[in-house]
Amino acid sequence: MSHMKELTKGLFKENPTFIIMLGMCPTLSVSTQVSNALGMGVAVIFVLTCSNIFISLLRKVIPDSIRIPSYIVIIASFVTVVEMVMHAFVPSIYEALGVYLPLIVVNCIILGRAEAFAGKNGVLDSALDGIGMGIGFTMSLSFIALIREIFGAGKITLFPIGSFSGTITIPGLSESPVRVVALAAGALLLMGYLKAFFQWKSERGKKA
Amino acid sequence: MTRYLKTAFTLFAISAVCTALCAFVNQITAPLIAANNESDRLLALEAVSAGYTIGEETEGNGESVSYLIPLTDESGELKGYILGLTANGYGGPMDVIASYNPDGSIIAAKMSTNSETPGIGKKAEESWYMEMFTGLGGDSPIPLSKSELSDTDSAAVSGASITFSGVTSALKAGSDYVKSLGGEA
Repeated sequence: MSHMKELTKGLFKENPTFIIMLGMCPTLSVSTQVSNALGMGVAVIFVLTCSNIFISLLRKVIPDSIRIPSYIVIIASFVTVVEMVMHAFVPSIYEALGVYLPLIVVNCIILGRAEAFAGKNGVLDSALDGIGMGIGFTMSLSFIALIREIFGAGKITLFPIGSFSGTITIPGLSESPVRVVALAAGALLLMGYLKAFFQWKSERGKKA
Repeated sequence: MTRYLKTAFTLFAISAVCTALCAFVNQITAPLIAANNESDRLLALEAVSAGYTIGEETEGNGESVSYLIPLTDESGELKGYILGLTANGYGGPMDVIASYNPDGSIIAAKMSTNSETPGIGKKAEESWYMEMFTGLGGDSPIPLSKSELSDTDSAAVSGASITFSGVTSALKAGSDYVKSLGGEA
């Protein structure tokens, strides 16, 4: 049961984006298109899970004085692996994510989870924590991207499969979108509203 | 002393394993990445060649024109050039590939590598964006500011003025370069 809790806590109760407020930089910058958000999410889930497993495995070997450099080396390696794999197999997402892909190295969620969780807990719990937090981040990121893309561009960009071109156009909004939502200022505004909404929801939950 | 050695060795061992992992993945992905880049380049050249034969690449002027490829028809007569142009965008340098008639007018252009904002500056990657400039650069000038565009086109590029002026100045530099060649390969 407790294992299940490690997995699910990242989804809502300790959601990295809306509750812990970690990893704001990629959240605001990559959330312009749903496909980018999903690509970034998958990359973060992979890096977070792998680094959590490795750091948890090595937690008794790594001396305390060099734990941060060790964590960074491990995280950076997995990020490099993701970067090379994406560049080779999904070049369009690699291009779209641009500089934010290598910047996963310094994503606070990953180092934060390594320091706060994986360095102190067992392998299974750390792996579940990584997957849960990663999915929580992906969900929040995709949710913000969905709102920004629908209102800011009047479309939803997914991945082309078979005869489906990958883009859903929303009539009405695509001709006259609310362009500010697609811009950086719109991302901050939207993030503020969503944070307020989740705050209100959790406060209400406590009172009830 | 042994404590320091042990610490240093641990960090060294972790780094060595990580390096080996990266090297292994690189072995697998490097050929695929090179093939992707090459096919992207060929596709882009094909897209702007207007059906002419693509010749041998030569170096450009070292400034905004990074390379020059002559276009010839079946009889070997020079019909134009493909130029690799470097433009300054909102998100840093952008690569634009454009083909010109020998008189300096644009046949076709295509946005290649860039770091523009998705949904805003990235619009320059769509075909209608570059079609605005087709035929310009010879007798009729390339618009350098949004005010020189029609209302519809001006509205379409609004919000991305830096991308627009980057693209147009690069296209104009390319056109001037082609004119300076005077129709020679």
